[in-house]
Amino acid sequence: MAQQHGIIVLFDVENALRTRSLDGNTYWFDNMKFLGSAGVGTENLVTIVPGTYFLDGSQATEQVLNWLPAALGSIPPTVPRNYLAEQERADDRRTLEELAALSGESGVSTTDLKRLQRRIGKHARKPGGGRGLTEAKLLDVTGKTTSSAGAYNYPAPVITDITGPAVTEKIIYPAQYGSPDMIYDGWYWAATVDTSRPGVYPYTVHVQLHELVERNDELIWESVDLACESSLKIISDPKRNGFTGAGLGVLPLPPVPAAG
Amino acid sequence: MKDRISIVVMVDAVGALSDRTLHNGNLSLVDDSSAGSKHQGTPDLVTAVVPGQVVQWTPIHVDVQTPVEIQAIEFLSGAPVPLPADQAAPPAPVEPSAVPAPGAVPWTGVDATDSNGHENLDLLVWEGVVPYDMTPGVPYRYRLSLKLHEGPNSVLHIDSPALLRV
Repeated sequence: MAQQHGIIVLFDVENALRTRSLDGNTYWFDNMKFLGSAGVGTENLVTIVPGTYFLDGSQATEQVLNWLPAALGSIPPTVPRNYLAEQERADDRRTLEELAALSGESGVSTTDLKRLQRRIGKHARKPGGGRGLTEAKLLDVTGKTTSSAGAYNYPAPVITDITGPAVTEKIIYPAQYGSPDMIYDGWYWAATVDTSRPGVYPYTVHVQLHELVERNDELIWESVDLACESSLKIISDPKRNGFTGAGLGVLPLPPVPAAG
Repeated sequence: MKDRISIVVMVDAVGALSDRTLHNGNLSLVDDSSAGSKHQGTPDLVTAVVPGQVVQWTPIHVDVQTPVEIQAIEFLSGAPVPLPADQAAPPAPVEPSAVPAPGAVPWTGVDATDSNGHENLDLLVWEGVVPYDMTPGVPYRYRLSLKLHEGPNSVLHIDSPALLRV
């Protein structure tokens, strides 16, 4: 049975935000090299989609594509999605406990207070428009609070749409699906393919990245929408009988079967 | 009597490749024959068939993003068959795919090259008609060879399943 396609799109988020472009900042990787995908691991991936049809012309194998976004330097996608929220809460709890311990008889020193103030960290808020990430503390990849702009962790890139000739020509039918797999926030993009029209069809993946900006003395996660392109190479071949190479025949049984 | 019998080959490709065997629970065969098949769910499935029926084998992978295809189905002939890899524990090294099953009916292999120049076993449909000259009551064992991805260790086989005319 034909396997499903997995297509990893790896983003260099920091560089993409700096150059405001995904050119040179994406790496594409799929699991179909053995059937002819080209440019695996580079920005110029051409994913092979080997379609098949029965002798009456009807499509025999349904090909399914799955897109899996990932980011360089982010928390690995296999870490549970509530990791940052849990870390943030744990950090607040520790700070409160230490604050309670400070009010002893020996008085409160300014250095202790300063240290705890740093621990509270910085919050990044939603932009005024309301679209984007929910308000959260800035955490580094180890889940500790940070106020350093160089240490914080970029949120994972989010695919927002898949468009382009492969879609308008009705070669692929992409959609976002709910999934029990929390690795991708419970959502993933997948598509089925019409393999009856061979050819090379480009498509565009629209991605939302998030940039930390300071505005009115506040840190805000601003969404930055960018797009990148890849393509599919559709081929189509007739099914044939594995025993005869053509149509249905008699099973090739020996005159005397093996014992045992 | 049913016109068609389906034999479904369920494979844990990752398990089979890392164990280098289709045993250890990495393969399960199930059919829908109503004539009294034996050992359902095991690699030793004996499918009860009647002449004239069409038997079709279909591979299904447990992990949907792993490639699992049937490379060959070869019926073993009365010549003595040394028991190979499949019954040894721990499993012996995998036999190269190029070596035909001992005593098998000569079979050259059907061309499965796609229009892009790659071998694509998904192009093959594994089905055939049960012949009328099949001897009743005797199991006809066959070598089922599966190809998991590509490369020197990608082909694994078992010699244990059989068709039995009732």
